[in-house]
This record gives sequence, structure tokens and C-alpha cells, in this order.
Amino acid sequence: MNDPSNVLGKVRRSLGRTAPLTRAPVPPSLSEPLIRLVLSDIGLPQLFEKKALENKIGVTPLRVDDLAAELVAFLHSKHVKTVAVPKSAFLDRIGAVDALRAAGFVVSTWDEMTVDDMYDVDASVTDVWKAVAETGSLVVRASPEHGRCLSLIPPLHVAIVEPKNCVADLIDLFETATASGDASAFTIITGPSKTSDIEMNLVIGVHGPEKVHVFLLA
Amino acid sequence: MLSFVQTALQKRVDDFHAHERIDFDFHRSSVASSGNERLKRAIDNAVLRSDRGRSLKLLELPDSDKLRDLAGEIKQHTLDHLDYYLEQTAINVEKRGGQVHFASTGAEAKKIILDIVHKANCHNVIKSKSMVSEEIELAHVMEAAGINVIETDLGEFIVQIDHDKPSHIVTPIIHKDKESIAELFSNYFGTPYNCDPDALTKQAREYLRDVFRKADLGMTGGNFIVAETGDICCVENEGNVRQSMTTPRVLISLIGIEKLVPRMADLSVMLKLLARSATGQSMTVYSSIFSGVRKAGERDGPDEFHLVLMDNGRTEILASEEYRETLRCIRCGACLNACPIYRKIGGHSYGSVYPGPIGALLTPMFQGLGEYKDLPNASSLCGACYEACPVKINIPKHLISLRRDIVDQKISSPIERIIYRIWAWTYMATWRYKLISFGQKTVLRLQAGGSSWLKRLPPPGSGWTQVRDMPTPAAKTFREMWNAK
Repeated sequence: MNDPSNVLGKVRRSLGRTAPLTRAPVPPSLSEPLIRLVLSDIGLPQLFEKKALENKIGVTPLRVDDLAAELVAFLHSKHVKTVAVPKSAFLDRIGAVDALRAAGFVVSTWDEMTVDDMYDVDASVTDVWKAVAETGSLVVRASPEHGRCLSLIPPLHVAIVEPKNCVADLIDLFETATASGDASAFTIITGPSKTSDIEMNLVIGVHGPEKVHVFLLA
Repeated sequence: MLSFVQTALQKRVDDFHAHERIDFDFHRSSVASSGNERLKRAIDNAVLRSDRGRSLKLLELPDSDKLRDLAGEIKQHTLDHLDYYLEQTAINVEKRGGQVHFASTGAEAKKIILDIVHKANCHNVIKSKSMVSEEIELAHVMEAAGINVIETDLGEFIVQIDHDKPSHIVTPIIHKDKESIAELFSNYFGTPYNCDPDALTKQAREYLRDVFRKADLGMTGGNFIVAETGDICCVENEGNVRQSMTTPRVLISLIGIEKLVPRMADLSVMLKLLARSATGQSMTVYSSIFSGVRKAGERDGPDEFHLVLMDNGRTEILASEEYRETLRCIRCGACLNACPIYRKIGGHSYGSVYPGPIGALLTPMFQGLGEYKDLPNASSLCGACYEACPVKINIPKHLISLRRDIVDQKISSPIERIIYRIWAWTYMATWRYKLISFGQKTVLRLQAGGSSWLKRLPPPGSGWTQVRDMPTPAAKTFREMWNAK
């Protein structure tokens, strides 16, 4: 800690104290009924779908057996040629990466890419850490296998969400985040990148992906 | 050698500030903007929509009023124990590989940041929007020090290339129309004029993507810092904050010391209120929570992370038990959107980076009541700001308290003080009161000459009628009517 002008001391004096507190202060208790918007854990994928659509995230609910064909068709319809994927046991297991390669896409895995390569990729196909039903958000978490830029730099982000990814409410997300230790970063994604800076005109696609699409597995 | 470079640098920064002079005349600036119909239309278009969006989105919450109470209590608790939480934050950030710097003043913060940039040998800085960097004019100082710094939020980018100033905390360019932005882009990029917002945004996107690719240092602010984990939370819609924490090898977050919350779980309260209050969204597009440096094996994210925690006048506000709650502010801009005065005079009239009701409080407290004595009076005290505030800062009450301080500290003009003295003296005896109200009524009715409005008063009343008409006094005073009853 670097505090040449003793700001901490100044803060303490401003609060009328001369010594550090000896006991940890107790913050106000978080009354759940006040904060929680989603009360039940039943039907979370359906709620997630509804809310994601409201946020302009495309959603295709499907069975895992149909994923490969649907994914390939979707990417073809968007004129995608190159795809980036995280190194993900889940994506391997459901055969997504093999299906993409077999369909002729140029697929690069994050562990053999640099951030700079990501600028030349048409789309990314990723798993997610969590999906928040309350807000229809995707949550991605940084790790050696899953780079921060995967869901940021390519103009199209396709996420594959399993029902077990879903949490009900933001409260549950932050509880899980606190309990699951110290990832260097996670981002809650609630729609395509957008701005209303110019005369409040909504423009989709600024610095992040202009399209976010979810394949929601049953 | 390094110290020589730094001395030279410091000199350039000092020179930059040398010809900066406070020349703030609220009366002149607000009268000018309130006569600008185009500006008022642009502001109304933006802020009324945000204000309506806020009211609608708050209805989604079980009890938004109580949730705002809770948010206010969390922030107040943090402020009341700020020394503890700052220490906890510093320990946790360092545990996770970041470096923590405390800055007592804006000048100190700038020196710390310039030192980091030079020691890390960085040349291309991408900066995301933050109020605290506006507060200390960080981008200008970096430019003056010869660093290539680019504002990457679309609105701030437009402000930067136009050498303009933001006029709203959340939506910085609501004072500009698309035609003037199109002209600006056409001149700046040397491309044909096109005023379609989509095309303008695409053009900025293409340009800034190249900037992101080359950046070696990212600068962010922070909406919240979680003391128990040392995480920074930044919310945004565009994705440029994510770029800052993803691409460059060095990351600096400059944040005010008041931005802490104790627990990660507190974010669920804050995030549910912040976007709803600011823009009428349930959630902003990106809420990023990050800490320290990339972990072993991670292939993006910064190698070096610096958290600069700045005081710059905040401890003085903290020391006043009366005004301390002002520091709860989470910079959502809801009070600006709700304020009838802001809508008439726009953000630039307030003469500082914090406009609107919260600015009328913070600016005099940060910069001195003497220079900004008019701001606490730039309010009709209607209370819309208090009603909109997600952390329940009682803004009207504090504006009145600042007016009291102006009188106590004898900051108001001597003429004004004499007039009030005379007024008080007159009202202390019935006969003087009767005499004066009779005289006042007679003179004013004579001047009105039968009209029900007085367009112009002689000095010193002329200042008042310059921007409003005065109703002509009634033929009978209230006392006369009462006695005749």
C-alpha cells in the first residue's frame, strides 16, 4: 500500500477516531424479500429465455441431439467462416467443436490464440459460467481456458446454456461468486453491445458483439 | 534519468494548469442556455425519457422505496466505517496481485498515474468514461504529458475530438445533435457527411477497434469496490470498459474513496437500483467484476493492476456529520433527469463536471462555496431529486443548509446582506411593515400601469425581472382584506 499523504489517517480523523477499529463493523442485514425478484427455482430456463429475449438476446431452445445441426445452420445463415471457442470439456463432450470443423468452419481454440487473433474472427461459440433468470443475463468467467475477449471482440457471440447453469436471482449469483473463490474477472452480459449517446437513438453494436445468441439446452 | 524525465513532465503538466482560471458566472451561463430552445429540446428529449424509464422500471421491484432505504443504509454504514473498509480493500487488492495507491489531491492522483504510465513504458492509453477522471481532467493532463490517450466511450470520444465538455453524468453529449456530430466526424476523419446515428457509431467503432488493438494501458473508473474481496465493479453498455480490462497489459482504476461497499452481496442491491435509476434499464449490458492481475495460465487481462483511491476533498465532506451522506452518491444521474432547473439550463451552466442537483451540492463542497455560491440557489427545492435518488440523499435539505452556510460565512454580496438587514428591521414593527407594504404596493401598481404583470423593475430588482415577470400586487393587501372581514 502506497499512502504518502496518509489519506487513511485523514479518513480516520474525519470520522472522529484516533485508532483503527478493533472489531469488524456489522453492515446492515440484507433483507431478502426486499431484494429478491425471483422467488422460485422452478422454470428458471423458461424465465431466462423470456428475459433474454427482452434484452435482444436471441434464444433457440433445443435438445442436445439437435445442437450440432442447428448451430451449423445458424452460423451459415450469418455468413460466418471463422469461429473461436474456449477450451471446454463441455463443448467437446456435446460434440460442438467437431461438428463445426466437420461443417467446414475454421475453428480456433483459445489456448492456441492471442488477443490480436480474436479481431479477425467472425464469431465465438462459448459455454457460460452461469445464466441469471431474473435479468436474462449470461455470466462468463475468466480462466486459462476461457479468455475475457472471447465474448467481447468477435461481432457475434453464440452461447450454449444448460439448465444447470441457471440461477434465479442476482442475489444467488453473487452468493455463488463469493463462495466459489477468486476468479480474476467475471462479466454479466445482458444483451448486445449498445449505445444511445447520439440523440437517444438506440444503436446496437458498439465495441462488443452486435449479436448475442443463446442455444438453450433442454 | 527517470527522475529528470518526471520533472520535465511535471513541468508540462503544471504549465497546462497555469493558464487555467476559474471564471464562473452562473447567472450569465444559465440565462444564455435557458434562452436556447434547441438545447432545451435536446435535453428534454433525453432526460424525460430516462426519468420516465426510471419510474417504470422501479415498479418491477417488490418495494423500491424500502430498497432505496437499504441502499442508502449500506452506503452510509460504509462511510461511517470508511477507514476500516479502505484498509480491508487495500489488503485484499494486494493479496490478488494489484497495487494500491492513495492520492490526497487530484494533482497527486495525476502524478501517481503519470508515474505508472512511464515506469511501465506505455504509450497508447485507452480510457473509459469515469466521473472522477473528469473531476481532475486526467485526459487533458495525459495529453499534455505527451501520452496518446483516447476516450473510448462513444459520447466521451465525441467530446474529446470536439474539445468540448460533457453535460450529463451518464449521457455526456445530450447537448449535441446528430448534425453537429456528423459535421465533426466529417472534418475529423475526412469522410463524407452522414448524420445517421447508426453510420456515425459504426465509423467510431471501426476507428476505435484499431485503437484497442494497439493499446498497452487501460484506464477505468469504478462504480463499486467490494471491500471483502477487493473486486472492482464497472457497469456499461458499450463494451469499452471490458476492452480496458482485457486487452492492455497494464490496467489502472482511478476511483474515489467513497465508492466502497462491504460485501459482494451488496452488489445485488446496488445493481438492481443503479441501471433502473440511471437509464431505465433493468441491467446495463455489461457488469464486470474484476480484481488484480490475470492468474497463472490466463492469456488475457492485465499483467499489472493499479488501484488509485482518491480523496480530493472527500474527507472534508466526511468530517461533517451533516453533509456526510452526500458521499453516498452512486452517480446515476437520476436527480439531473428529474430536475426542472437542469432541464431548463443544461449541464454546462453549472460550471463543473457534476451538474444538476447533486452537482449543486458537490461542486461548492469540492471547489469552495465562495466561487460557486450561486449553485445552492439553482433549485426550486421541489424535492424531485430527493424522490429520485436511489440512495436517498436529502438534496433539498442540504441545499438549504448550504444557503445557511453562505449567510453564516458572509459569502453573499454586501448589498444583498444590507437589503436583508433592512427587510428584517422593517418587519420587526407593525407600523414599519404596514408603511412599507403600502409603499411597495402603490409604487409597483403605478409602474404596472394597469397591467397584471411587471416586466421590468428598477435595480436591484432588475436582476430578478431579467429572467421572469413579476405579478402586479393586488389592490388590497392581505391585512386590509382580513381587517375588512
